[in-house]
Amino acid sequence: MHASFFATLLSVLRRGMGPWSALLLPWVLTLGACAKDPAPEQVSVRAEPGSLIFHPDTEPLPIEVVNHGKRPVPVQGFQITGNDWSSFSIVEPINGQMLVPGRPLRFSVRVDAETFRGGTLPSAVQGETRELGPDEFREGEAVLAFRVGEETHEVPLTFEDPSWVTATLLPGLLKVVLLVLGFIMPLASLLLWQERKQSAMMQDRVGPNMARISLGGLTIRLWGLLHIATDGLKMFFKEDFIPRRAHRAMYTLAPIMALVPALVVFAIVPFGDALCYERLLDVLAQADVDQCAAGRGGTPLQIAHIDVGLLFYFAIASLATWGATLAGWASYNKWAILGALRASAQMISYEVAIGLTIVGALLVYGTLEPHALVHAQLDSAWGILLQPVAFVLFFTAAIAETKRAPFDLPEGESEIVGYFIEYSGMRFGLFFLSEFIEIVFVSALVTTLFLGGWALPFEMFGASGFAAPWVAQLFFTLVGLIIGATGVAVWRASKHARFVGATMLGVGVLHVCVALFSLMTGWGSEVPHVVVVLVGMLTWGVKVFVLCWLQLLIRWTLPRFRYDQLMSLGWKGLLPLSLANIALTAIVIYALSAAGTIDPEPTDAEGEAAAAQLGATP
Amino acid sequence: MTITVKKVSLKRTASDQIYLPAILKGLVTTARHFFKNTLTKGMGDVDTIRYGEPDVNVEDYYPQRFRGVHRLMHRDDGSVRCVACMCCSTVCPARCIYIEAEDRGGDEEKAPKSFVIDELKCVVCGFCVEACPCDAIRMDTKAHMHPTETRADAVLGKLDLMKRGTQSVAHQGGVGADFRTAAPKADPRFEHDPR
Ligand code: SF4
Ligand code: SF4
Repeated sequence: MHASFFATLLSVLRRGMGPWSALLLPWVLTLGACAKDPAPEQVSVRAEPGSLIFHPDTEPLPIEVVNHGKRPVPVQGFQITGNDWSSFSIVEPINGQMLVPGRPLRFSVRVDAETFRGGTLPSAVQGETRELGPDEFREGEAVLAFRVGEETHEVPLTFEDPSWVTATLLPGLLKVVLLVLGFIMPLASLLLWQERKQSAMMQDRVGPNMARISLGGLTIRLWGLLHIATDGLKMFFKEDFIPRRAHRAMYTLAPIMALVPALVVFAIVPFGDALCYERLLDVLAQADVDQCAAGRGGTPLQIAHIDVGLLFYFAIASLATWGATLAGWASYNKWAILGALRASAQMISYEVAIGLTIVGALLVYGTLEPHALVHAQLDSAWGILLQPVAFVLFFTAAIAETKRAPFDLPEGESEIVGYFIEYSGMRFGLFFLSEFIEIVFVSALVTTLFLGGWALPFEMFGASGFAAPWVAQLFFTLVGLIIGATGVAVWRASKHARFVGATMLGVGVLHVCVALFSLMTGWGSEVPHVVVVLVGMLTWGVKVFVLCWLQLLIRWTLPRFRYDQLMSLGWKGLLPLSLANIALTAIVIYALSAAGTIDPEPTDAEGEAAAAQLGATP
Repeated sequence: MTITVKKVSLKRTASDQIYLPAILKGLVTTARHFFKNTLTKGMGDVDTIRYGEPDVNVEDYYPQRFRGVHRLMHRDDGSVRCVACMCCSTVCPARCIYIEAEDRGGDEEKAPKSFVIDELKCVVCGFCVEACPCDAIRMDTKAHMHPTETRADAVLGKLDLMKRGTQSVAHQGGVGADFRTAAPKADPRFEHDPR
């Protein structure tokens, strides 16, 4: 089966590419001929993070001086200068020493926040001053300087007390816009179309392709993509029907109750590492990004950075049951109430399995906070490698939570039509949309828990860029070739897909151009922060999209369960298996720690990483 | 010939019990179809006729023996080829052909004075074409009956039917043995007139 699958894929590519493949050869040859050593690194000693930002309640901040070169160099003359030098101090006295590559010099810097409290401040109006209250702090800055050989390095130290607006509200709004408007909504509406098109392709049909717009004689059909718009319009203009004996308030509330939790749970999903506002064009180290992730000088790319993130998810996801249940009850329709009962029973059953499967991952990574969970995965190995059973169980139970085939009994369109049977127009549209948003969410959660979140595999892309220029060249060439070849194949597949195919080909060519650029300049290992953030978010998006595709594939491949089968799968299959998974994970971790190979109580990220790493190969 | 019974074991194996191998097999199959149809020229296995799409001529997709709206063929002199033999109206299962015969003049056969087909009743079986002894009625127009505003509009008369017609290439009067003498004995099943 597999062999034939790949054979088909190959023949598809061969036929799809045809003469185009001839164009690849010179490119590959050029790549081989031009491959050269990356340019020798100029800056070999760096302070990480490259700047320190203090808030009033900040503990002493650790800083490392790292030698990225090959030979030891002397570092000395550590001192703090600048305007507010007296408020900052180095905690441990450090002497000059030889800095050996691979053995960073660690120390921490402390701030005396009290010196910034109160006082007067020059106002924006010329010549006037403003009196600060006892709870207000003025801003301050100093410089930590040290010498490397003859060179002087400077690390800016900043003290600030951001207001609630700048620290919480604006970043929050930015992230909501980025995630919800920039990703979830577009992807959910894309899925409306993709569901129909993909099922058609899987079943040898054509699928929706007739919606089109004419722009000055040019007819754009976009492979049927415009059906997204026509579907939306249709829903808005349909009759808004409310059954005579329905409970009007509840009936109106139900679609909202279905949609809101589906959107709110996204708050805990990290869709990137962190964004540093003022250093977008600099090359940052992981320590800088960590500082931004802690909210100093930046913001983690996650709407709500709460320590109990996954518990928050469970709390909100349980609320989603209300939408289905209320809809069924308020409709005054026996089919609807049947669907609602099925929905609530099913969702409660599978929530148990979901909760227990995650526990395995928690044991390994030791955190409930999704952002930290991703970091723990990057430090050791992705969840799918350490917890493969949990991955399968979680994915299954999560698909059941979305109430879609093969678990679509609450809908059961061939028998009861489901809890939204009485809904029409945009009210139904909300149910429909929330279903697709849930698909996106399941994909996002699986990405976060098991697929390393925003990171590319094999540690090829870190906070400062690709591991090496040749990695960048290989990556961009491969990705460009795959996208470009797919674009050509799509162009040739169908007349209505030409625009889409051409766009994909353009994107592919762009990637290859970047690879070429990297080949000529040795660019790749030091990338501006903004590019790193974009690549991270794109990687996350691609992972989520592929998982959405997989869910649609599953939905259109498997037949529906019978209700007793559904329940026995949940209670007699997933539940014992997830318990066994927990027990096995715990035993392995205990055995490894008893053998002394891992720290029994990992206290820092490194300990967790070690625990996870060893857990991978028992 | 001996009949052998093949016994099929319905016992579920371990790989059936855990579902996953079978599910993966299924996913691979559907994924293969997906990629083949998305990425190969002409959409792989998709055989759908693009009926109704703006740049598609539907008639190109019709088979040779597609049965469209009727037409009445012409003689060499342009008069109607039909000899009002009533074969078609007799065989018509929907009984939607109404023919009134008249004298064609001279020593020739009859001709239809009126020839009416109610296209709303017609079940498009094509029996009338089969029954016609002189290639007078055909359904090879590749045209569908258009929707009409009134029922009366769907009832086509002789002129409507002849408008679509052309000269038949068949030889007037036929060639070869006289079919009246060479005709096989009538099938007794058809002697009974159901009407
Ligand atoms: S096609 Fe069939 S139903 Fe229609 S007129 Fe001819 S014999 Fe009658
Ligand atoms: S159309 Fe043919 S079968 Fe019908 S009456 Fe005329 S000659 Fe006879």
